[in-house]
This record gives sequence, structure tokens and C-alpha cells, in this order.
Amino acid sequence: MVKRLRLISTAKRVGVVTRPYPFRPTEVPEEFRGKPIIDGEKCTGCGSCRNVCTPNAIEIEDDLEKGVRRVKIFYGRCIFCGRCSDICPEEAIKLTKEFELASKTREDLYQVIELKMVKCKICGKPFTTERSLKKTLKSVPEELHEQLYICPDCREKSTAYIESYTKRR
Amino acid sequence: MVKEIIENIKGAFADYIIGIEVNKNKVYIEVEKKCLRPLVKLIKTNKQIHYVTSVGVDERPLRGGFRVYHIFTSIEEDYSIIIHTSTPQSHLTIPSIVPVTPGANWAEREIQDLLGLKFTGHPDPRKLILPDDWPPNIYPLRKDTPYNIRPPSKPTLYPFKRPRETSTLPIGPYHPLLHEPEYFELYVKGEEVVDVEYRGFHVHRGIEKLGESKLTYNQIPFIAERICGICGFTHSTCYCQAVEEAIGIDVPERARYIRSILLELERIHSHLLWIGVACHLLGFDTGFMHAWRIREPVMQLCEILTGNRKTYGANLVGGVRWDIKEKGVKKTLNVLSKIEDEFKRFIEDLMSIREVKLRLTNTGVLTKKDALKMEVVGPVLRASGVKYDVRKAHPYAAYKEVSFNVPVYSEGDNMARLIVRIDEVLESINIIRELIDKLPKGPIITEEIEIPGNRKGLSMTEAPRGENLHFIITGRDGFIYRWKVRAPTYANIPALKIMLKGCPLSDAPITIASIDPCFSCTDRVKVIDIKTKKTITVPLMRISRGKIW
Repeated sequence: MVKRLRLISTAKRVGVVTRPYPFRPTEVPEEFRGKPIIDGEKCTGCGSCRNVCTPNAIEIEDDLEKGVRRVKIFYGRCIFCGRCSDICPEEAIKLTKEFELASKTREDLYQVIELKMVKCKICGKPFTTERSLKKTLKSVPEELHEQLYICPDCREKSTAYIESYTKRR
Repeated sequence: MVKEIIENIKGAFADYIIGIEVNKNKVYIEVEKKCLRPLVKLIKTNKQIHYVTSVGVDERPLRGGFRVYHIFTSIEEDYSIIIHTSTPQSHLTIPSIVPVTPGANWAEREIQDLLGLKFTGHPDPRKLILPDDWPPNIYPLRKDTPYNIRPPSKPTLYPFKRPRETSTLPIGPYHPLLHEPEYFELYVKGEEVVDVEYRGFHVHRGIEKLGESKLTYNQIPFIAERICGICGFTHSTCYCQAVEEAIGIDVPERARYIRSILLELERIHSHLLWIGVACHLLGFDTGFMHAWRIREPVMQLCEILTGNRKTYGANLVGGVRWDIKEKGVKKTLNVLSKIEDEFKRFIEDLMSIREVKLRLTNTGVLTKKDALKMEVVGPVLRASGVKYDVRKAHPYAAYKEVSFNVPVYSEGDNMARLIVRIDEVLESINIIRELIDKLPKGPIITEEIEIPGNRKGLSMTEAPRGENLHFIITGRDGFIYRWKVRAPTYANIPALKIMLKGCPLSDAPITIASIDPCFSCTDRVKVIDIKTKKTITVPLMRISRGKIW
């Protein structure tokens, strides 16, 4: 009986360890990986992050009528692994320290970025984002720039046409 | 030893062996299915051979038919023997090895459920994995079944084998203290448990199928670590090691050390969690609070080392993603000395409570003979007097370079299982100190990996709950063709039948918990009075404290 009184001295020595969260904010370490945020000024809409995302939290869709590409990240599916931020060639995705993501509406759990798209010179269909095209223009010699304003479908058709034409001759 | 066994096999079954393939310390022997049972019997005559699991593979898109791998490993030396045999689609039967290896019971039933193979001579071919209302002739793991299939429900009643003249006490399918739904039916005479039936897999999530059909090889670690809510890192490590072995790449030394450090931290917090839960089940909530108080700094340390309390997202094929920096090393040593001190004091406090000792000693006994027969693993096996630890027998990560003891006790009761885990926590603290001391410099990940098709990889790790196995076959374009996971609890649950037989009802909850199973949520017991058909619901907490009505 006397032995178990040890517990009282332990309790006295340890004191209260429970933290007063959520009444007072709690701190997370520097290394903590929370809500990922996409920088709309840097993103080119290339889709690397979507390809690497294990839980399919990142979606990319083209709105052809409005001529915009939407990059959507859904925090309801995100597992905060940070692979998107590892892989992003533009370093446009950063993981923040924010972790209080609970919300009453589903819309709050999305971050949507709209990127202007370029229309194809031949068929008029939007096919890539302006920013992505600008980046490619820098790395390609000027005489080929004209070609880059044509969508891959039309480019394929025109090369196929040229090939068949040369064959016929 | 391995040579001797293979020579024996070659001598006795020369006409039936189709091929032998050796990959480092794994020996794959392909045989005709006719000789399977006598061959396994021959292998099992060797005392140090332990049966791990069986893997069924749908090989129809590759070379036609189905293949079954039976995996055996040595509990002393670093080698494994894999016996495999195939069967054409026209004859979906394979001789069962359960008559000679009782531990294969579940594994064969799993293959029967998921791939539709029949095992002739299996003593208990009831459903295991699939739910009661799953329609017949739909086999989820076959390659022509889509991963997102939702078949129509076809309710049937599960054929429980209820002994006569006993009362049935269902426990589950929700459990308030452990973390997954499970369903035990205890058959009791008065206060004594006569027999037990188990029905689980309520949360079978089809992770293997998802990994095989939807994810690329480097996405699987992130779902592998979600197999377990507590010991996730051991699963992602085990998967990565299997792929690394299959494609033959070396992991940087520093990455191996970091993996070991994180694995040991995981063992510490997992065992502390269990000790807390065990106290709670005994009605000693103060112990529960104190065990979890000591555990919390470990979780916070993991958050500093990997950016996540549960070490999620730290593994990739080829290495680890986060390095341990100078600050992390200091913090780790601080936390270790703090928890070592606190833990030792806590154990003294715990052992000073007479009731804790009385409730644990001589309850839920599993003898050495039964433990070996049921092929149990981890602390359960070591508490029954068998010295088998994957870290020692099949060293992986950096375990070859550190010295540590494997605690073994021969009593086989709940107390022995508690003491094994207590000793392991202290042992883990020393292992981490040694690893940190020796932590080499260098890169932490091997980049540029190519995944050639049709390679086999097998890896085992010592999870806090016991031996954990991942087996993979690579496929085309960086996909994994087959990914098999055998978590430790899978091997330990069947042994509960033996542990619970003859024990008083009030000891059942702590005995079930003593294998440290991974189960969940709000559980209760329904007591049905057969005469009046009246149903009373009793919370498990009351039973665990010996009050039933």
C-alpha cells in the first residue's frame, strides 16, 4: 500500500504537461510540413507536381472557352509529403507551417490558380500556358520561334503532310 | 546450413525441381506442384526454419497460369528459401501445405479469397479476407479485375464453428482502445473461455492492388507507410529495401544509418504506446497517462528530424529524403537521456503496483512449442523463449554495425511480453546512441534509378510488433507487378486462440492486447439472453475490470 504512494511523488515532480491548445496557439518546429501553397506568379502549369502526387491531390484542367489552365490543389486529399515542392522546376510550391485546415465548406480546402493560355496559330485551340511558352522561347533559337506557336496536334499534321508530300515526289 | 538443406532437397526431389535461382542470400526453388507437401515437410524438419508467408501471383499476362511462393526463412542464419510452383488456369488447384505447416492457414485462405486458387487438403477453407457479402467468382487481385471495382452485395452468413453448450460473447467489431475494427467471438462456460473464433479484415483497404495498378514504384512508399498507424516507417523501409534488392542498387551508408535511427525511435514510441494501452486495459489509467507523457517527446523529436510526428514521407527507393543535421543530433541525445531517466522511474512505479503483476503473471500463456507451431513473431515469440529478431538474424539498414542484445524470456505469459518490450525500449535507446556516434558522412540518396522488369525482391524488417515482410515483382515502365505485404500481427492473431483457451473472461482483453495488435474505435460487448432474447450492451472497459452484468 505504501509503495503505490510513489505515484503521488511522481505526479508532483512532473506537474502538468498538457498544453493549453487550442486556447493558446501551439508552435511547430521549422522542419514541419504543413499546407502546400502554389505561387501563382511562378507556376507555368507544366504538371510535374500532378504526376508525382501520390494521393492525386493536384489536378490540372484546361478551360478551352476561357483560354485558361487551372491548377487545383485539394487539401482534403493532400498527405503533406512535399514531393510536389521537391519536383517543381520553378520552385513555385512551398510547404508552409499551417496545419489548422479544418473547415465547414469544401471550397476552403482548394487552392486554384488560373494561367493564361496561348492559342494555336493554325487551329485556334489553346494548347499551352503563356508562361511556359515564354520559358521555351528562351531556350530555342529564334528561327524556330514561329513553330512554337503551333499546337502539337497541328505540328504533327503538318510534318505528316510534308512527309507524305516528299514521299509522293 | 543452407547448402545442406538444398542438397537434401536436391537429393530427395531431383525429378521435381524445375529450376534453382540464387539472389544473394535468397534461394528460389521452382518445383512441380505434386511434390509441394513432402518437400515442405522435409524443410520443416529443420528446427531453425520458420515459415513466413505465401504469395499468390496472377501470371496470366506474363506466361500464363498462377504462381504461389511459399517463403521460409532461418531464425539463426541470414538466408531465406522460397519454394514456388505454378498452375495453369485450367486447373486452379494446388496442394495445401497446412497439414505440415499450420502457420500457413491464413496465407492460403487469403490466396483463395483474392486469386481464386483452391488448396486441396486445407483443413479450414473458409473465407478470410473478403467480407461476408462479397459475391462469388470475383477475385480482386487478378489482373483482369479493375482496382476500383464495386461489385453488388450478396449477403451470406459466415459459418462460425460454435462449440456446443457454451455462451457466445462477441467482442467487436469496434474496439475502443486499439486502432482497427476486429471481431472476436469468445465461447465461454461460466467465466472460462473455451474457444475463440476471429473474423477480421473489416478494414482491408486493397492497398496491394492499388500499388500494383495505380502507383509508380516511388509513390508506393507513401502508401506503404500508411499500412500501420504506429509503425509506418518500418513498412516503407521494408518496401524500399525489397525494390533495392530486386534492382540491385546500393543505398548510401548515411541513409542506412538514418533509417535505423528512425526505426528505433519508432520502436520506442510504439512500445510506450502499448505499455500505456495495457495499463489502461488493466484499469490503471495513471500508468496510461505517464507512459504517453514519456512518449510525447519522441513524437516531437520525429517531427524535428523528418517534418512529421509519424516520420511520414521520409523514405524513397534508394535512400531517405531528410538528413539529420547537427541540431537534430543534439536534440536526439537530449530527448534520449530524458526519456531513459523518466522511463526507468516509470517502470519502477509500474512494478510497485501489486495488481499489475498479479493480472499479468501466468495469464495468456503461450508455450514455446505452440509459439513455434503457430509461427508467431516479434515480442510474442521472444516472450515464449525463442531468440529470433530480424535485426540480428537478417541484418538490414545499419544493424550489422551496432551491438545490441535481444531480450528473451521463457515464461510465455502477459508479464513476459511486457518485460520483453520494456527491455527493448532501453535497448533501442542504446542503439540510437551508438548509431548517432558512428553516423557516417556522405549522400543520403542514390539518384537515377532504373527499374528493369520481372525482378523479384524480398525484404524483412523487425517492426515493433515483429517480423514484417514485403515481397515485390517489378513490372513494366516503373510499375510494380506484384506487391505483397505481411504485417506482424497477421502472424500473431491465430495464436490468440491458444492463449485465450482456458483463461478467465476478465483476462481476455489484456491477452488480446498483449500481442500488441493493430485494431480500432468504440467497442462493446453484446450479451444476449437466449431465453428472453433481450440484448444488453456492456462496454469492454467494464469486462476488463471483471464486471459483466
